[in-house]
Amino acid sequence: MKSRYGMVIDLDRCTGCGSCMVACAAENNVPRVAAATPRNGITPLLVHSVSDGRTGKAFIPVLCMQCENETPCASVCPQQAVQLDPTTGIVMQMPQRCLGCRYCMTACPYHARYFNWWDPSWPNGMEKTLNPGVAVRMRGVVEKCNLCHSRLHAAEDKAAAAGKHEIDPRDYVPACVESCPTGAIQFGDLNDSQSAVAKESHAPETFRLLARLGTEPKVYYKSKRPWVRALAERRSPAKREVKNG
Amino acid sequence: MASFSVADRRWVARGAARTSSERFALWLTPWVLLLALGLYAGFLCLYRGLNQTNMDNRFAFGLWIFLDLAVIALGAGAFFTGFLVYILGRKELKPILNSAVVLGFICYSGAVAVLMIDVGQPLRAWFTFWYPNTHSMLTEVTFCISCYLIVLSLEYIPLILRNRRLRKAQPLLVFEHRLHLLVPVLAGVGTLLSFFHQGSLGGLYGVLRGRPFAFREHFSIWPSTFFLFILSAIAAGPSFLMLVTTAAQKITRRKLVPEQIFPRLGLISGVLMAAYVALKAIDTLIWLNVTSPAAGFAPWEHYAYKPFGSALLFAEVVVFGLLPAVLLIHGRWRLTGAALACCGILLNRFVLTVQTLALPTLAFDPFLTYTPSWQEVASFGGVIAYGVIVFSLSYRYLPLYPQEKETPHVSGL
Amino acid sequence: MFPGFDGFHWTLGHILFLTIFFAVLLTLVTTVIIALRRTARDLKTGEASAICWHADFSELPESERRCRHELAGRVDERTCPNAFDCRRCPDYARFAALAAVADTTTFGLNYPTDRFYHRGHTWVRAEQDGAYTVGLDDMAEHIVGEPDSVELPAPGWDLIAQGPAWEMTKNGREIRVRAPIDGKVVETGGYDKGWYLRVQPKGQAELRHLLRGAEVNGWLNAELERLQIQLVQPEIAPSLADGGILMRGLMDAVPSADWDTALAATFLEP
Repeated sequence: MKSRYGMVIDLDRCTGCGSCMVACAAENNVPRVAAATPRNGITPLLVHSVSDGRTGKAFIPVLCMQCENETPCASVCPQQAVQLDPTTGIVMQMPQRCLGCRYCMTACPYHARYFNWWDPSWPNGMEKTLNPGVAVRMRGVVEKCNLCHSRLHAAEDKAAAAGKHEIDPRDYVPACVESCPTGAIQFGDLNDSQSAVAKESHAPETFRLLARLGTEPKVYYKSKRPWVRALAERRSPAKREVKNG
Repeated sequence: MASFSVADRRWVARGAARTSSERFALWLTPWVLLLALGLYAGFLCLYRGLNQTNMDNRFAFGLWIFLDLAVIALGAGAFFTGFLVYILGRKELKPILNSAVVLGFICYSGAVAVLMIDVGQPLRAWFTFWYPNTHSMLTEVTFCISCYLIVLSLEYIPLILRNRRLRKAQPLLVFEHRLHLLVPVLAGVGTLLSFFHQGSLGGLYGVLRGRPFAFREHFSIWPSTFFLFILSAIAAGPSFLMLVTTAAQKITRRKLVPEQIFPRLGLISGVLMAAYVALKAIDTLIWLNVTSPAAGFAPWEHYAYKPFGSALLFAEVVVFGLLPAVLLIHGRWRLTGAALACCGILLNRFVLTVQTLALPTLAFDPFLTYTPSWQEVASFGGVIAYGVIVFSLSYRYLPLYPQEKETPHVSGL
Repeated sequence: MFPGFDGFHWTLGHILFLTIFFAVLLTLVTTVIIALRRTARDLKTGEASAICWHADFSELPESERRCRHELAGRVDERTCPNAFDCRRCPDYARFAALAAVADTTTFGLNYPTDRFYHRGHTWVRAEQDGAYTVGLDDMAEHIVGEPDSVELPAPGWDLIAQGPAWEMTKNGREIRVRAPIDGKVVETGGYDKGWYLRVQPKGQAELRHLLRGAEVNGWLNAELERLQIQLVQPEIAPSLADGGILMRGLMDAVPSADWDTALAATFLEP
């Protein structure tokens, strides 16, 4: 693979402010539906609140893990509307081809996929805030985080205009990374041995969610707290000491 | 009104003891109303979107998918009876063959209709045929069910063409004759297709790596999901057929099939049910003791949430599995056994659809429940109403039960 | 899906899957096409009439499929296994040799002995020029009376025995009369002429399946009994068993009777 874009999210720095979620929604033209609930709203990036049952609290932003090995959603889509892009490692979702069968949503272990249960609509005048670089999805299709792929396009256009073949990594920064006030989310090319994410992903306090499933996610998490690292895998309810806030 | 009755009578086989046109219209009325409600609910979902249902991002599959799996399993009687009659030559099952085909047609057309509402973009349904993903079980299901619906339609058409008035058109009756001669080919193709899609409906859940409750690795997906689903479907099919025939006989107050059909169907269903329970028990034990621990889960973890406790597993395998097998083979409480067997298969499909999705996957996931909305329930009801209407019309106007004529009748009724 | 599109590449899975799928589709399409082609061929060759007749005959109740020899009193009980086509019956000669019950009453109906009778209530009379005249028998005329309309086949039309011959309507009901013999229609008549068709058979005419002599009486007896049961109405005159005579124009005289059933049984429709 040419590039493997991934993330390392420092859970000790995440304050749960939610700026990343807001930036993501703004960047990706996520419609604000009044009737939507936390269970059927679209949050390509969702911050979970967890605690150790005592005083410990943490926040875990969950987004599409860009699984590399037998990508579950890609392998189950009946019409190949999901493809792992070989040049970027990003799992691409094609809303124009999506039938809306939602099989990929049952396949995703991270619940990182969201369905458009409503027609997209914006309050009068608010359509002026839409990001022209990102297509609005129609009702009845699945969507998810695509690592702000439109920003990658913009970076590539900029490089091409300057006559360069490679993009400047500083030009391609997803909205959530850009907005995080503590810099908890680090983004980069895991194939680039010089990048921060490539180095951090090997650090001892780094883990991936549900790594045991073998999907090879490209989003890593980092924490010095053992109880947070223990959240990587599912445990039985009796042993589990965290509750969703 | 009298002339309507006279006109209606001309479509009914001469000498067939059928109720008056008025009473038949009365019988149909509540079902038509239920169908209308279902159609309205479906229209709402198509017009306003799937927010009309209570499905959400966690319960992406709900009542409708359960309905699809359930009716397809129960409709397996169609292909299996055809297989037994035309391929294995069991002529004693011929009297229920027509009704089995109609029942199958109802089940599959109902399932496809509900699927068209269930997906977000029904007009894109043909994309699966144009961009098939051969890794996906759902592609296999789509292709097979589409083809099989064609097969069922082709098997239903000769029955329709034998209607008293339609048969008067010579080309139609001749075509019926010619198509009927080729029905064994259709039965063979139908068997092949059914074998595959019944199995891959089970495989749908077996490939879900992120759902340890349902996931079966590599080769074991074949015996655990694929074959168990086929086996349970062909066990449930004859039982469902038995129940429907009994209901038809009760409602019409007529003997429609020779009495020996019931013990025959019961024995077939019972033996297959017994085989299914035995293999399912083995599969469950392997899963509890080997597969699940290897994936890092103590098996009881999957049953830690009410109402999906281990009692459900016990119910599925013993109360609605072993018990009906015994009752069906023994013969005394055959109908109860048939009902329990069908419930068992429904329970199996429910567990695989709903429990799989209810169970959390991440460490910080909650256990969630879901209750269908009225639109979902109404659509479900609409499908049942559609089935009753099609079956009633077929009984009244078509030779659905050819052996019915053997019972003495008084012409002119 | 196809080579040339973005990202497509053939795998063993694709080949296997698409092969099976297209094989299935091909089988289904071929089956339908074969059925359609055979149907078209049957319609052209006239095999269609035979197919339809056999299908209709199998739908008749057993009481309407009595062998002519049973009606003639030659045998006790026999359901016709040949769709009334005695021309092909291997047992015909054996049964015909037996003695029939001598019975001359025709219940006041006119059944001249110079002609043969078909189970569908038509008669056939040989003419000097080798052609045959076909008409509606007296019982059928008593039932129908004067038809409201008659649709006759055009001269040149090929008749096939037991296939459709002509159609009549009466009181809003359609009656399809079956042809008694094979042959080509050379002339058409009508109700007022007393005959309906003049038919020229191909080569030697086969008439073995037509009723004659004592068979006619036995058959009429059965038919009138059947008609009586089917027309149970208070207006009908005393039962024929006591010597009552069949009224003319029954469909007009007893309009409320179950003519649907009675006509179908008379003209051999299921």
